[in-house]
Amino acid sequence: MQPAIEVQNLHKSFGELKAVDGASFNVPQGEIYSLLGPNGAGKTTTISMLSTLLRPDSGDALVMGHSIRKDPMGVKSVLGVVPQDIALYEDLSARENLTFWGKMYGLRGAALKQRVDEVLEIIGLTDRQKGRVSKFSGGMKRRVNIGVALLHKPKVIYMDEPTVGIDPQSRRSILDSVIALKNAGMTVLYTTHYMEEAQELSDQITIMDHGKLIASGTHDELVKIVGQMDRIRLTINAEGARVVTAWKSTPGVKQVTAEDGTLNLLVDDSNQVLPRLFDAATTSGVRITSVDIQLPNLEAVFLHLTGRALRD
Amino acid sequence: MKILDIAIKDLTRSFRSLFAVIFMFGVPLLVTGMFYLMFGGMANNDTGFNLPQTKVVVANLDEGGAGFQMDITSLPQGTSAESLGNLIVSVLQGEGLTDLMVVTLADSAEAARQAVDSQEAGVAVIIPADFSQTFSALEGQAVLEVYQDPTLTLGPAIIRSVLDQFMDGISGAKITVNSVLAHSQSSDPALIGQAVQQYMAVSAQAQSPDALVTSHAPDAAKQETSLLEQIIGPIMGGMMIFYAFFTGTSTAQTILKEDEEGTLPRLFTTPTSQSAILSGKFLAVFLTVLVQMVVLLILGRLIFQIAWGSLLPLALVTAGIIFAASSCGIFINSLLKSTKQGGVVFGAVLTMTGMLGMIKIFTMGMATGAALEIVPLFVPQGWAIRGLVQSMQGAPIGDVLLTSVALLAWSAAFFILGVWRFQKRYA
Ligand SMILES: Nc1ncnc2c1ncn2[C@@H]1O[C@H](COP(=O)(O)OP(=O)(O)OP(=O)(O)O)[C@@H](O)[C@H]1O
Ligand SMILES: [Mg+2]
Repeated sequence: MQPAIEVQNLHKSFGELKAVDGASFNVPQGEIYSLLGPNGAGKTTTISMLSTLLRPDSGDALVMGHSIRKDPMGVKSVLGVVPQDIALYEDLSARENLTFWGKMYGLRGAALKQRVDEVLEIIGLTDRQKGRVSKFSGGMKRRVNIGVALLHKPKVIYMDEPTVGIDPQSRRSILDSVIALKNAGMTVLYTTHYMEEAQELSDQITIMDHGKLIASGTHDELVKIVGQMDRIRLTINAEGARVVTAWKSTPGVKQVTAEDGTLNLLVDDSNQVLPRLFDAATTSGVRITSVDIQLPNLEAVFLHLTGRALRD
Repeated sequence: MKILDIAIKDLTRSFRSLFAVIFMFGVPLLVTGMFYLMFGGMANNDTGFNLPQTKVVVANLDEGGAGFQMDITSLPQGTSAESLGNLIVSVLQGEGLTDLMVVTLADSAEAARQAVDSQEAGVAVIIPADFSQTFSALEGQAVLEVYQDPTLTLGPAIIRSVLDQFMDGISGAKITVNSVLAHSQSSDPALIGQAVQQYMAVSAQAQSPDALVTSHAPDAAKQETSLLEQIIGPIMGGMMIFYAFFTGTSTAQTILKEDEEGTLPRLFTTPTSQSAILSGKFLAVFLTVLVQMVVLLILGRLIFQIAWGSLLPLALVTAGIIFAASSCGIFINSLLKSTKQGGVVFGAVLTMTGMLGMIKIFTMGMATGAALEIVPLFVPQGWAIRGLVQSMQGAPIGDVLLTSVALLAWSAAFFILGVWRFQKRYA
């Protein structure tokens, strides 16, 4: 079966900055595919090119067989886009918004009305449909923002960080609806910088940083990159150049990186390594003020590949 | 179809915004209303447009002519007059003149003059003892003396004009009298009295003293309203144009705003062509200004009784203004990078061009000169107000057409440039 999205070596620069630097990946139909990366990784720029809003400097992509360069209208007709920043008419009601956007997707009359009812049901806002969006909570706005992209039952839907800045309850309901979309047969391209979301939702994940795709695969495949390594986050009470050097040569320590006063270590087995770290600290006259141990996960993968933490 | 959907969505948003509605309708109406009350108040003020009431003292010394007897039923209060002097007094005391003058009688010419000198009265009318007599005489020249307070102008002038009309009337009678006298070869006072009486009856019917008098009062009243109209019409027109251009620009600014708020990019992700999206936005600008103009024209008519002119010229000019204001808004916004820039730029540009275009209204007609005729024509607002004033003054349709064509030319230039720039931007 032809992939829902075929991305072929996309490049996009803003002046000197290479926002997307050679992105290639395939999204199989009916899957949830996540782009995981920190702020400024190039996720939105990729989505913008794939939704024909931005013209790539080079490369191409096919969405359900339609080229973003040669057949943008074809791309748009199979596509629903949930933009990262809420894009709604705040002075219109939820229903008015959905009705207007439905018209933009070519729906009319009774079919439009019925679909708006259905979408209101899906996003759980049937009761509040007459309320102005400006009066909605962040989570409700996010849900309407998603609803707009569902109106024409697109084959492919892009969701660009749809859970940013909302309460856990709304977040839960959004994640559930993404899974529901997949179960209804849609292909979802999902971007996030929350590791847990990517882990829970995705059939496949691509890790992005500085415009480059640095690793791709299922969650388990990616975690294997770091093997059985544990991740230890430490803070110390003093400037730690000396202790870092000591720790780097400690047996079982694979990697030490410092970021804003926090030290990130990848180690074989934290139970065995931790006592050695304390010993080395004592020898260097440094006091460890906090310790946080994490079992292998995407954070560790990202740390391993980039030397930086995924989240600040 | 999608074009219309986008335009309707924008209209809904515009008219749902309290701020926009106040700006579009409230402010122009309020400003006009302020001027209306100001000038209307002046019109109702005694020192303003109303004619002053003059105190008149009449010394009627006329002894009448032998057998001079008049009984003119159409005289004020149906009085009978034994002499021409009496007739004059009756006319001056006529009901229609009570707004303009208070008439008192004096016993002597001296007393009458004294009343004026002591400022108890503004005007003294002295009817000499031989007034009727002289009038009856074939060659006689009946003369009235009017003695007035030199500091007054308007009141005495009115009284003079009343008397002049009266004297015109009776000199007509005198011609009749003369022809009667010439015919009969005698100077029978009774005959003269009869002739005068007949003449006065006829001329009184044709032009009763009431009509003679009221021809003044309504005149003044008419001048009053038309003066108010003359001032308030262009002011409201100016306000309308000023704010129509603001509406055009702020509505066109929703293109930039939607761009910044993400709804425009989102529109571009739907299967809707770029040209349909932009056309919808442009149509919205045009329709918003249209609604504003039509509503303001109607409200101006209803609230301030402004006569905008006949339908065809008004429609031509209004269409020109709507096109100019909306395309100007599109053009201005096509030059801007962001709405942040927009607030300052369009506030300054529209205020300056608006004031230039309507410099005559802003200076309230106090400044004059060739420049005031030419300068406004460098901005579309100047043509807009020119057209509206032409329509109000009932200028020849050719002139109105020319102004409308000029407005359309402005619109076409703005529109082509604006659309070109926007299409390039979102290509
Ligand atoms: N229109 C633009 N002009 C200039 N630079 C841009 C533009 N859009 C994005 N960038 C830059 O390109 C880089 C990638 O941005 P992008 O928005 O794609 O990242 P992202 O992964 O979506 O980040 P976030 O998680 O913050 O949304 C950033 O450094 C950003 O500053
Ligand atoms: Mg982004």
